[in-house]
Amino acid sequence: MSTPQAAFAADRPRATEPGPALRLSGVGHSHAGGQPALREIGLQVAQGERVAIIGPSGAGKTTLLRLLATSLKPDQGQLELLGQQPWTLSAAARQRLRTRIGLIHQAPPLPPRQRVITAVLAGRLGLWSLPRSLLSLAYPLDRQGAAEALGRLDLADKLYMRCDQLSGGQLQRVGIARMLYQAPELILADEPVSAMDPVLAAYTLGVLNREAQRRNATLLASLHAVELALEHFPRIVGVRDGRILFDKPTAAVGPDELAALYANEQLECEPAPQPALVQPLNIPRC
Amino acid sequence: MKVLSRLLIPAALLAAVIAAFAFLQLEASALLSREGLGQMADYASGFLAPDLSPAHLRAIGHGALETLAMSAIGTLLAALLGLLLALPAAGRFGMLLQAASRLLLNALRAIPELVWAALMVLAAGLGPNAGTLALALHTAGVLGRLFAEALENTPPAPGEALRLSGSGRVAAFCYGTLPMLWPQLVAYTLYRWENNIRMASVLGFVGAGGLGQMLYMSLSLFQEAQASTVILAMLLMVLAVDSLSGWARQRWVRG
Repeated sequence: MSTPQAAFAADRPRATEPGPALRLSGVGHSHAGGQPALREIGLQVAQGERVAIIGPSGAGKTTLLRLLATSLKPDQGQLELLGQQPWTLSAAARQRLRTRIGLIHQAPPLPPRQRVITAVLAGRLGLWSLPRSLLSLAYPLDRQGAAEALGRLDLADKLYMRCDQLSGGQLQRVGIARMLYQAPELILADEPVSAMDPVLAAYTLGVLNREAQRRNATLLASLHAVELALEHFPRIVGVRDGRILFDKPTAAVGPDELAALYANEQLECEPAPQPALVQPLNIPRC
Repeated sequence: MKVLSRLLIPAALLAAVIAAFAFLQLEASALLSREGLGQMADYASGFLAPDLSPAHLRAIGHGALETLAMSAIGTLLAALLGLLLALPAAGRFGMLLQAASRLLLNALRAIPELVWAALMVLAAGLGPNAGTLALALHTAGVLGRLFAEALENTPPAPGEALRLSGSGRVAAFCYGTLPMLWPQLVAYTLYRWENNIRMASVLGFVGAGGLGQMLYMSLSLFQEAQASTVILAMLLMVLAVDSLSGWARQRWVRG
């Protein structure tokens, strides 16, 4: 068990300091329109913990994950990731911190014409030198690493397919494989199994949790399906209206709290799925 | 009133045509008379017997290669320079550089190839160097603008996702943006290459080398037979390049 882990963690500096993987206090964030998305968020997660974030649509789950991925900057409060405050760092230091954080997107933004192997290998661009990155674009340098990451998600046979030849669920798994290849210490997953059937979703969450445990990585995943969250994660955070409603071990979450979390949300619309990355191609003729 | 306006426009057009004839002193009778037509037919008949002597064909082969090389290198340089200018022109490095690079692209584009060629002949001397530079400069303006538009319309999400996992800017561009931009870059570049091969034939008229220079010489010396062969060679070359770029487009742009 230790050998593959060593292979994965070969060229990455591990954080030496113990302490929480992330710490938020009084964090707030408003959308561009000024409408608040998150208010007074306080959250602390230890290295190696696995946490599910649940809540109704529009509660702020995605915003929370994007704050943790340093994709958004908090308007108020303190944000500390892997012992560092990302927004006080220089841009270069922030990029180094980002190599240790892996975000799984709900609809992985992969170029449609890119091969799966290239898309997976792109996970380590932050650790590779530019010449190596460019060389790998022409001739994939770590075929074995990509194949191994894909193999964990039963996609090893798709190595040389183009991303636009895959289904939505397969694409999500390619996104997860890219994250596995990146081998971050903090794994953030935004609805990682939303495009999969229930059996595949359960299987994939199992893989994600096992890999996180094996590498002692911290895992935060937002999930729509409450039963999946309760089944796979030891700690549940309920988010509603931009606030944390409860944060407790799974065993302590009762039906009343779940009912309160989702109350009066029966007609809230799902956010529209992100449009596929299809580009209109107009070829000029004279 | 309505009848008047309906008659007014055709009447004005007719008056303009008559005025144009009068102004240019074209004499329809002389132009279309038996002698006039006969003279033109005489001149045209000189083109019906192209000069196919080996020496002339060799010269044409050399000229055709020169034209081909001029257009290919000119287009390649233009694509590189255009991409380099398209990045700031698409607003990737701030407003100031965006305005500056757009101004530069506009200037490059606004000056036609022939004018660039005349300038480059003065700057770089007679011959294909001047033609190549002229094509590269004008086409860089055109391609830079087209590339910048393509870049602006490319979804930013894949590149941003890579930046979020710690990637550098150049690597994120190459892995996230370029794969989606690439087909359009190739399509635009091939299209401009087709244009440039025609243009390269004309540039010779101002002394910038290639088939055009041969054509200009032959016409100036009233060697219709030789000129006719040059025109045939141009035609063949344009057809060949059109089908080649059609194949390349099929191969890299679609599907």
